[in-house]
Amino acid sequence: MKARVPFREGLFKESDGKGVLLGAKCKHCGQIIFPKAEVCLNCLGQDLEPTELSQNGKLYSYTIVHMPSEHFTPPYAIGWIELPEGIRIFSQIRGWQEYPLKTGMNMSLTFERLWDEEDKEVTGYIFRPSGNGEGV
Amino acid sequence: MVREYEKMREVAIIGVGSTVLGKFPEKLPYQLGAEAAKAAIVDAGIPPGKLQFAYCANLYGGMVIGQAVLGGIGVTDIELINVENACTGGATALRKAWWDIASGLYDIGIAIGVESITTSPIAGQLIPPARGDITGELGMNMVAKFALTQRRYMDTYNVSLEDIAQVSVKNHHNGCLNPYSQYKKELTIEEIVNSRPICEPITLLQCCPSSDGAAAAILTTRDIAKKYTSKPVIIAASALKSGDYSFRWEDITFSDMTHKCANQAYEMAGIGPEDVNVCELHDAFAVNELMHYVELGFCKKGEEVRLLLDGVTELGGRLPVNASGGLLSKGHPVSASGVAQIAEIVWQLRGQAGDRQVNKAKVGLAHVIGGDGLESGAVAVHILKM
Repeated sequence: MKARVPFREGLFKESDGKGVLLGAKCKHCGQIIFPKAEVCLNCLGQDLEPTELSQNGKLYSYTIVHMPSEHFTPPYAIGWIELPEGIRIFSQIRGWQEYPLKTGMNMSLTFERLWDEEDKEVTGYIFRPSGNGEGV
Repeated sequence: MVREYEKMREVAIIGVGSTVLGKFPEKLPYQLGAEAAKAAIVDAGIPPGKLQFAYCANLYGGMVIGQAVLGGIGVTDIELINVENACTGGATALRKAWWDIASGLYDIGIAIGVESITTSPIAGQLIPPARGDITGELGMNMVAKFALTQRRYMDTYNVSLEDIAQVSVKNHHNGCLNPYSQYKKELTIEEIVNSRPICEPITLLQCCPSSDGAAAAILTTRDIAKKYTSKPVIIAASALKSGDYSFRWEDITFSDMTHKCANQAYEMAGIGPEDVNVCELHDAFAVNELMHYVELGFCKKGEEVRLLLDGVTELGGRLPVNASGGLLSKGHPVSASGVAQIAEIVWQLRGQAGDRQVNKAKVGLAHVIGGDGLESGAVAVHILKM
């Protein structure tokens, strides 16, 4: 079995497909930042606390890409998922062939293989339509 | 902030030049640049030795390309700065040239934009994401970015793909009338909607092409301009901004950065959007044009499709937009586009735009955006007047 490595350190913690996105919340202005940063990009406050982001959100917008990409074979889907915290996460979207995408639909976070690098499986966050894909 | 414009010298454009835009694998970038610069110098009617400084915008042509461009036409031993600001590079070069004259530093200079994608290392490829760009690594690209805007726009404002395709119909029609245009082919809504999907709902014919080309403009003071031309075109406003963080961006179908930059330009020019007679704006994708109508103040949000379908922005309408064919048809040679827009506006204001001439145009606006990372990397708005 290939070793699983995150596509970028510090963005999330996960095991076996379950996990959370790691953001930061500014104690001064309340802004939530993802990925987390040393200072608040909104008010430049330096007092930030780690925060785990919501597992579910709504599909703010999406596109099916028919162009080649470094890591993904077209067609593939990407989109912005709006979390209840009021921030939007850019993500690969899977399950779109099974459940047609619709702006505003409920989406759920999973962690899956993104691509392979030599003997490693590179993993990252993915959003999929929630349940049977009908929740809006 | 910008203020006390009255203390600055008024700056005029006395010469512009452009290559035809298209694919020119046999021409090196500096050759395209030299062709445009020479045309601008001839148009201005000045000896090349009069030029005191130059800005040259370019992305993929290599080091000190401006020196090669001007060295090829006998202009050496001057202050020369090479500029990179993605698709906004050309407009950035123009703005810096404007400032060098407005401030009193120099009296006459040239702004050049040049790009040859065909001979560049990225020929036939996508513009790669910046290193360290998480969204790029996860599959984002420039078309996808605006496809996401378009999807959101269509779904939340109830706009059809046919409405958006009409932008491409209009601009390709205009391109047929422009000898500088890369494409000279009329398109139908059906052809556009049914062309190959690139990033849904954006199809091939809603996208600008990849282009080679160059454009140049000669700037001087209003007073000196009188010596060379009876039709100096005045730079009434120049504004340039970087984008803001995406997390502050409330609605991706309304570009805050273009809106702010346009307002800054209107304030500087002392005019409003209702005074604009002709406009070249950043239509890299058809949907962009509709968004920019609103952000540039030509109409309120929700009225932009009406503006297009009622013919207000077509040739013969009250406010023709992208009479040149725009990036969609005329072409989009990245760093050259901002200067090519200025050349078009100058021709329009002078009444030299041939078959695509806008009737009695007195005030023209040019708008260009470029680059990713923030909302967009940069936006520039210039207002020119007779």
